[in-house]
Amino acid sequence: MMNLSLQQHQIALLILLAACLSVEESMASINSETSGVEIMEEVQKRHQQFPYIYEEQSMVMLDRQGDRDTRKARRFSRVEEDGSVKFLLLFDYPREVKGVALLANRDPDGQTSKYIYLPALGERLIESAGEGSNDSFLGTDFSVENLTGEMLSDHYYARRDDRDVDGIKYFVLDVYNEDDELEQQILRRHFIRQDNLYITLTHHFDKQGRITRIQSHHDLKAVDGDMWRANMILMEDKRQEHQSLIKISRRVFSHDYVPEEVFTAEWLYENYPYIETLEESDAVINEVESLEEVSDEMIEESI
Amino acid sequence: MIVQACMLGYKHRIPVTVFLLFITIFAAIGMQRLQVDTSIDSLIPSEDPARQIYQKVMGEFGTDNKTIVYIKDKDLWTPEKLTRLEQLHLAIEKLDGVTRVDGLFSLHTVHGVDGKIISRPVLRAAPKTIEDALSAKQSALSNPLYIGNFFSNDGNVTAMIVSVEDNDDHNNFSRLIYQALQEQLNIQKSEFEYITQVGPPRINAELKQSLYEDFTILGPLSAVILVISILLFMRSWLSAIVPLVTSLITIIWTFGMLGWLGIPLNILSAMIPSLIIVIGSTEDTHLMAAFLRGLDENADKESSKYEALKYMARHIGLPLVLTVSTTALGFASNLFSNIGLIQHFSIAATFAMLANGIITVLVLPLMLFLFGSDKNTSLVKDKETSTLPNRLVRLFRHSQDHFPILTLVITAALCVFFIFHASKLYVTNDPLSYFQSDRPLIHDVKRIHEDLAGVKIFFITLESKQEKAFQHPKNIKKLSDIQNFLDKQGVYDRSISLADHLKFINREFRNIGTEGSLPETRKLVAQYLMFFHRSDLDSYVSHDYSRANIVVRHNVTDSHSLNKYIRELEEVMKTVTGPNMKSYIVSENLMVNHAAETLMIAQVKALVILLTLIFLIMSAMFTSFKGGFIALIPAIIPITLMFGIMGLLEIPLNPGTAMVAVIAIGIAIDGTIHLLARYNELCRRSSDYVGAVNIAVREEATPLIVSSLSLAFGFGVLIFSNFTIVAQFGALAAATMLFSIFANLLITPIIMARIRLVGLYQILAMSIDREVLDSSPLLQNMTDYQRRKAILISELHEFKKGALLVEQDTVGRDMYLILSGEVEVVRKDNGESRSLAILKPGQIFGEIGYIRETERTADVIATEDVSTLRFNYERMQKDLIFFPNIVAKLNFNISYVLGQRLADMVGNSKNK
Repeated sequence: MMNLSLQQHQIALLILLAACLSVEESMASINSETSGVEIMEEVQKRHQQFPYIYEEQSMVMLDRQGDRDTRKARRFSRVEEDGSVKFLLLFDYPREVKGVALLANRDPDGQTSKYIYLPALGERLIESAGEGSNDSFLGTDFSVENLTGEMLSDHYYARRDDRDVDGIKYFVLDVYNEDDELEQQILRRHFIRQDNLYITLTHHFDKQGRITRIQSHHDLKAVDGDMWRANMILMEDKRQEHQSLIKISRRVFSHDYVPEEVFTAEWLYENYPYIETLEESDAVINEVESLEEVSDEMIEESI
Repeated sequence: MIVQACMLGYKHRIPVTVFLLFITIFAAIGMQRLQVDTSIDSLIPSEDPARQIYQKVMGEFGTDNKTIVYIKDKDLWTPEKLTRLEQLHLAIEKLDGVTRVDGLFSLHTVHGVDGKIISRPVLRAAPKTIEDALSAKQSALSNPLYIGNFFSNDGNVTAMIVSVEDNDDHNNFSRLIYQALQEQLNIQKSEFEYITQVGPPRINAELKQSLYEDFTILGPLSAVILVISILLFMRSWLSAIVPLVTSLITIIWTFGMLGWLGIPLNILSAMIPSLIIVIGSTEDTHLMAAFLRGLDENADKESSKYEALKYMARHIGLPLVLTVSTTALGFASNLFSNIGLIQHFSIAATFAMLANGIITVLVLPLMLFLFGSDKNTSLVKDKETSTLPNRLVRLFRHSQDHFPILTLVITAALCVFFIFHASKLYVTNDPLSYFQSDRPLIHDVKRIHEDLAGVKIFFITLESKQEKAFQHPKNIKKLSDIQNFLDKQGVYDRSISLADHLKFINREFRNIGTEGSLPETRKLVAQYLMFFHRSDLDSYVSHDYSRANIVVRHNVTDSHSLNKYIRELEEVMKTVTGPNMKSYIVSENLMVNHAAETLMIAQVKALVILLTLIFLIMSAMFTSFKGGFIALIPAIIPITLMFGIMGLLEIPLNPGTAMVAVIAIGIAIDGTIHLLARYNELCRRSSDYVGAVNIAVREEATPLIVSSLSLAFGFGVLIFSNFTIVAQFGALAAATMLFSIFANLLITPIIMARIRLVGLYQILAMSIDREVLDSSPLLQNMTDYQRRKAILISELHEFKKGALLVEQDTVGRDMYLILSGEVEVVRKDNGESRSLAILKPGQIFGEIGYIRETERTADVIATEDVSTLRFNYERMQKDLIFFPNIVAKLNFNISYVLGQRLADMVGNSKNK
């Protein structure tokens, strides 16, 4: 029930690393003989080309009653020259969670460390350890792996018959654990647009082979040549009847937007310090909340 | 009209047979549409305001409609057992209709260790080594949110919580889910010490199964009991077969009607076939007894069967209508119950009683025509033999003759004693208590309660007007304070709220001891909350954090006690929450229990209304409130004793037992009606009221005792029901029937002998004399009511031709009204007799002696068979003391008659 598994970032960072290190022309032609993993390699080569990424995101979570939660966060990711990867997800909104951060570092030797910073708990980073690469994070329906792509070496890809939906042709790949070559336990099914090699739809399965979640990518934009990015990602949890929507309102591929110091505890403490305060009075809370409601509406409208 | 209706089956055999066949076939088709509703929902009034709150809470915090799979094994935490458990988990997940399985293999937990936060599933898959298994055990048992819900304290028990699709139980969804789950459990059964499931699908499936079993057992058992008791007492095969036939047809009609109207069967419906067989048979018994008596009285006639049927129709017709009406009234008193279970049962039972009346009236004469004997060969002939009824009557008679006052005093004392115990009555209505306590389901419920936490749930919901109120530590503390009070009450197994989640995560993040404390600031609360998925908190806090919910699990089976604890809790909650926060305690069980309390109030009202109606009907029947009063005595005494026994034996009021009083009264009054009807018939012919009582009791004792014993046995059969409430209903109703014998044959006669009653129906039955009465000068210018009242105080006397009705020179204060036949007034003077007048129907004689105590002036001799009404001066003065207008009218009419006589005499003497 708890979802503290930040270890997923490890995988994400590995993917980023792999992608960034192989920025070579990779648009080899794909034909009926091309294997699943080869298609995936093409997908990653094409769409994961930059080492420095800064994103401003809005997250909207919709529960079965139709109630919505809105959060705003910034995502920093950086691949250093020595091969180490740094990742920071920093929350700005709602006000109570401003400064909450997920910080991950992967050393060149492959060791990954993850930390959580909760400003309200005090100026200390709490190391996070755990299992489970497919667990949702911070109350959303996404896992980190869902957002960043999967580690190819950990999986086995079985190519299925191509499909044509509404005039758009798709490659269809079933994803299994790398050691499951007998194709007994399907994890996901990717639908990859043949025209831009972008995964626009993924079905996630449970152990019984039932679809539990559907992830779809929308508002696709070509950001650099053949490289595409989705500005909206929707995850629908079929069992819980929840939905989580991430809208990227701003994305910058620039070294300047991801300075090295943001990945440090000091930077977090300085910018989001712990202030030992007494509880706010109800009047103050109400005033702030009414402002937040207006802000909520504005954010949701913008989304 | 009633007599004609009773003869329909005899006179118009073919049309009646066609009619019966047509309706029965139509009903049989309707039976195929029958539905079964065993849902708890049917126990809750649809307009109960708590229902809306409950539905709102359920909508917001999720339903408690989940099945617990309980697995116990002392070696649970071994790779082998956990592998089996994983197989079970996966197999259950795969079942159609299962939407979610929460258990060992889906749980995540968080640990704060050496400054690290470790988040991991308790077990992602079955471990390969014993070390991994024990590590998982440690991880599972260290999470306080899981103890009691998923794991026992010692870890030897684990639970899977299985959620299934919301379904209205169409197509036996509950049973299919229950069976599918059970199949999986059976596969693993040998692998674990104990494995079982408890949840709505099982409860619903077992309720239905029990209902079907009841249907297949109780009805036939009732029929067997009925046949045996009738054969025992009536010694007539036909008397035993007739009620079986009428009951069978009634059952088809009733269930056909339910099918056509879409009224579902419920757990109370299980007793309907038994009720039809048993209650319906009482009317057949009375009719058969009357028929046999009719055979006796018309033994010398050629068409004795026809005459006996006429006799039966004349004597039992009206009582039959009344008894069917009062019985139906007893069941109908619950027609407007707002509890579906009761209302549906009431509709079915009321219809059944009315239908049985109609069917009996039509079928019985038909069967008697076809199979009836011309001679009485049964017990009715053997009135003086030492049968049980006769022995009982003799015993009662002894008390009535020798210690009437003592008997009444003892009865009154008994009533006081039982009323005292009745004051201890309490209401309890736990749906699980409907099952017998030795049922495996109940054992499983206890087992889960002992090792985990009770399967019963209620919710405590706090509601603030402010959004995010429950992100504020001071409000979260309110949840904690309420939970502390729950712990202090010491009757609940487990309570979980948002406060527990926050205490737990705070403990793990701070690495502080075993006792978690609440986060101190609102920001910290909000930041902790990010680490929960919304679905983790769905049951505990609303989306906007303005409402919070405490889930309480318990195993309090006595809802009376539970209500007491809930009231205490409500008081504390008012203090804790303060004026700016609303609080509710809701659950299906609590609503069901509350419904039972309202049911009790409704039953008291129904009882009062029924008693009032019976009082009014009987008062109207006897044109006397005394009649109504006497009729109530044998109704009130049995229910007083019944309530007293319930109090004494601590049998609670529940939807079954609460109905006994009104239903039993409706039935018990039948015997009283028959008894009083016969008594009044006899009173009309004799001024020996004590003798009339004795004859009435003797004649009616056999059918009354037979029918009461049959009813007692029939209700007693319900003891074998799978449902406690039905069994309790049966036992109490049986006891009430036995009490009614005592009340009807011992107490009522003592009172009857002291209060004289005349039946209205007899007056109505005397339609042949109505014209005579209307034209009589004695009753001129009187309203119908005044006439009836005056007549009812008279006595019916019949004389053979030549009988001396009034003897000259004797003193008498009786006046006679001739109903039929002729009399001659003869004056004897000096040895010579002189005819003064021939009087015809409508005319009166003896009026001088009535007005003034003086010697009779002439003989009055019947010149043919004569039927008269006798008016006694003293009785008229006494009984009509509160009716001066009637007395004045009578006196005026007598004066008119006397004046007329005087004028005639003067006229005659002038002519001479």
